[in-house]
Amino acid sequence: MVVGRRKAAVFGTAFALRLILVYFFPSLPDLLTGRVEVSTPVNSFKRLQEGLHLYMRNVSPYDGGVFHQAPLLLPLFSLLPNVRYHPISTAIFFAIVDLVNAHALAKISESGQSVQSRLHSAMRKNIRWDGTTVAAWFLFNPFTIATCLARSTSVFTTSGILFAVSNAVGGNSLNAMLALGLASYLALYPALLFVPLVLLSYDQRAEKTPQPPSISHFVAQHVGIFVGSIAGLLGLSVLVTGNFWEFISATYGFHLLVPDLTPNVGLWWYFFIEMFDSFREFFLGVFWLHLASYVGGLTTRLRRQPLFVITSLLGVFAIFKPYPSISDASLFFATLPLYRHLFPFMRYTFFAVSALLYSSLLGPAFYHLWIYAGSGNANFFYAITLVWSLGLSVLLADSIFAAIRDEWEQDHPERRGEEVKQV
Amino acid sequence: MTDKFEDHESRHSSTSLKSVDNADNQNSAQRVPPPETPEAIQTRFRVIAAFWAVIIFLGFPIWWKTTSIYRAHLPIQEMTEWSEGKICRPVFPLEIQIAAPALQMTESQHLVRTTQHALDDLNEFAAHHLRLKLANATDLSDNGASMLSGQNTGDGADTALTVRVLSEDGLSTPRSELHAETTQLDIFYPPSQVPVPSSSNPALSVFIAEELQRLYSEEKATIAYILSGGTSGPDAESISRRLRRSMKYADTYHLSFSLFTPGAAPTSWDIEAAIQEYLAPLLFAFTPISNFTIDTQVQMYATFSPMAPPPLFDEVESAWTLKKEDLSAFINAAEWPLNPSIGNGPTLNFVLYVPDPSQSPMVVKENRASSWIIPQWGGVFLLNPPLETTDSSGSRTNPAHLSQDSLRPAFMTFSHQLLTLLGTPATPSSLPLRLQSMIRVRAAALLLSASSTMGSLARLTESLPSIPIPATVAASVAKTLSQLSATCSHLREGRFGAALASARIAESEAERSFFEKSMVGQVYFPDEHKVAVYLPLLGPVGVPLIVGLMKEVKRLVAAWKARRLSKA
Repeated sequence: MVVGRRKAAVFGTAFALRLILVYFFPSLPDLLTGRVEVSTPVNSFKRLQEGLHLYMRNVSPYDGGVFHQAPLLLPLFSLLPNVRYHPISTAIFFAIVDLVNAHALAKISESGQSVQSRLHSAMRKNIRWDGTTVAAWFLFNPFTIATCLARSTSVFTTSGILFAVSNAVGGNSLNAMLALGLASYLALYPALLFVPLVLLSYDQRAEKTPQPPSISHFVAQHVGIFVGSIAGLLGLSVLVTGNFWEFISATYGFHLLVPDLTPNVGLWWYFFIEMFDSFREFFLGVFWLHLASYVGGLTTRLRRQPLFVITSLLGVFAIFKPYPSISDASLFFATLPLYRHLFPFMRYTFFAVSALLYSSLLGPAFYHLWIYAGSGNANFFYAITLVWSLGLSVLLADSIFAAIRDEWEQDHPERRGEEVKQV
Repeated sequence: MTDKFEDHESRHSSTSLKSVDNADNQNSAQRVPPPETPEAIQTRFRVIAAFWAVIIFLGFPIWWKTTSIYRAHLPIQEMTEWSEGKICRPVFPLEIQIAAPALQMTESQHLVRTTQHALDDLNEFAAHHLRLKLANATDLSDNGASMLSGQNTGDGADTALTVRVLSEDGLSTPRSELHAETTQLDIFYPPSQVPVPSSSNPALSVFIAEELQRLYSEEKATIAYILSGGTSGPDAESISRRLRRSMKYADTYHLSFSLFTPGAAPTSWDIEAAIQEYLAPLLFAFTPISNFTIDTQVQMYATFSPMAPPPLFDEVESAWTLKKEDLSAFINAAEWPLNPSIGNGPTLNFVLYVPDPSQSPMVVKENRASSWIIPQWGGVFLLNPPLETTDSSGSRTNPAHLSQDSLRPAFMTFSHQLLTLLGTPATPSSLPLRLQSMIRVRAAALLLSASSTMGSLARLTESLPSIPIPATVAASVAKTLSQLSATCSHLREGRFGAALASARIAESEAERSFFEKSMVGQVYFPDEHKVAVYLPLLGPVGVPLIVGLMKEVKRLVAAWKARRLSKA
């Protein structure tokens, strides 16, 4: 593949920027690793090191209840040189993962699926960014850079999701399912993307082959591949850890039951600190169902744009996941530029962006006031996470509105350019 | 966070269009939105159905599963009957063996018979009665030793006491002698008073009966006091005072021995050897009743509280004296590290205080006593060791080390204080008899306490229908009830050691079931509070969902009516 000069420049600059930051501010990665906004119990690099240390000494990595990440990360990281003595090699590794993610994103953008798919064709096709610009939005997003420098293992989940989507839009539904299996294996929640992703693959298949297979058969086949890939990864994990139930309860049990209420940018921790014990299980169910219930509704409503369903679900996850971090938000922000043609329809961008900026600046300050200075309390930080979620929700709702508006214009071409008013 | 529901559900369904096309003025009049296509209606139906499918097929089962209250079945009726004392009337038949080696068989049988008559005439408390039995001469010798622990391994009743009737020359009236270390009572009688089979009420029998009655009078009174619930009894006042001084019964007590001194010496004491020598046998004898854990500490430079009146020098006694009414301020609770409770049992504190050489010797003013008891807390002993002259200046100091021998008086006192604090009856003088008596008293008290806990638990679960009853509670209750009935039958058959063992299990199980954490948490959680739990989150989420559902149902009903109309 010929890499354009512009693309090479963007990727090279992004890579250099990361290394320069690490080189000139050697304490920055460790500082970011310790931030609650970046590192959650399920993606913290510090916890990964703890698990790695135990693993290298032939102790079960889940002993001690600190490590909650997928076991296959351990052999991978045991290949890298010790981060204490060679921090730069780990930094290079994470920077490369970022570039790979950006590449997948560029491929998604270049496929043009966001504007033109089997059932849908956007009205303003000409307003769009090319793959390199979309990749640049991802690579130079401060949230992405912070995630990369903090060496959060969420980047692998991001890779899994982006590769699943890029393979699906490229028509390679088998690889898409395998990549989604990897992402679900790492973080559980990407499994919810299965339905829109399988529809996306189906649309691709139906477009290319003259006689599309029956949809139920197609779905059944891909469920098989998806479940098979996860089963394979779990089997490998058993080989690594040796104890199936121990790692299941330490990783997926941890995701599902949310026992660690360390503050993060999400909405769960404060709620479950305050919750009466006897209602804890019930509200765990409510919160997870709330998260899952968007899949059905959004997929049905936006059946014609499965890629947009995936984008909006990524936004939903960034808000309502049990352990969200800014890396989830950065993934959502990475997919939004694919929908440059919807931006003219969006009405609250200023408000949403201000809220996000406000909270990302004040969040660390309030956290400091609460934890270190002792002059604030938990409500300070929680208020900021509410503002952050509000900003994301407004952005998400606005983009969904814009997408629906776009569909409506496609159905009613004669009304194009009219302003819509909600009553 | 719920605005998204409304956003993508209601917005697209209820958007209307208004033209603001300024270029075309005559066309700017109201334009109606184009009618919804059947396809859009279909999509909206599906969206609403998708949300409701999640709620109905996943939400409701989760709600049902996580908030349903598990109430294990409890035998309420039986529990209430226990607490009302309908099932078990505790009785205390004490078996007393009489051995009269010098007498003929018929003479001894007659003696037993007449003594039993005399006893029955004297006894006015039916639940506690003494049963006399003629002992075989052979098993007399080994009985005394095995009775110390108060337990009989066989099926028969425990032998509470062995009475040996011996003749002694030169006596005018019978006399008795109780062995202090065994359960043996010797009765000496003048040979002239050998009961003749014909006499119906011989003097010797009356004497023995009176002796036995006297021996058990305190225990009888205590049991009567406990069974009546602390209201009546022959001398309720003195018993309740004694019970007030003693600790509440616990399965395990923690003993804390502390050496306090205001100066730099002594710095060590032979505490381990002293406990081993002076206290361990007593604690071993207590094993059927309670267990003990022990810890010790030495605290130097322990000063009196500034509030406490200082000791005064008494010229007459040539000693520093503490006034009796000031003893309550002696312990400097604020500064002396005396833990109120370590571990799971209540703590008994024993304080050995060595006064400063300048204030030695120190005694209590009124009676020159050197120790006192603090009710339900522990005991204090003032130890005045002989002072040593160490250096040339002639200043006298306390010895740096307290030997085992010098601790002996203190530990003798502590043993007595421990007996009192544990509620051991003051009479009779034989320690094994007092311990046996305590076993019976404790068994009676635990039986009542566990029964009343059962009653309280039954009332609690009846009055609060919303609290959960975990299976563990049901199991504990079942165990308590079975142990209670075991206690009752053991008591009836006179096996008091076994009865106490069962009663201890019953008590601890009853406490565990009553103080079960998951039950207690719900006690203060009335149903109304659930509104506050559910509404803030589920209300905002639920309203758009329900409104959407209602609109959809209305539309379906309208369509159905229209179709029926068109058919008709």
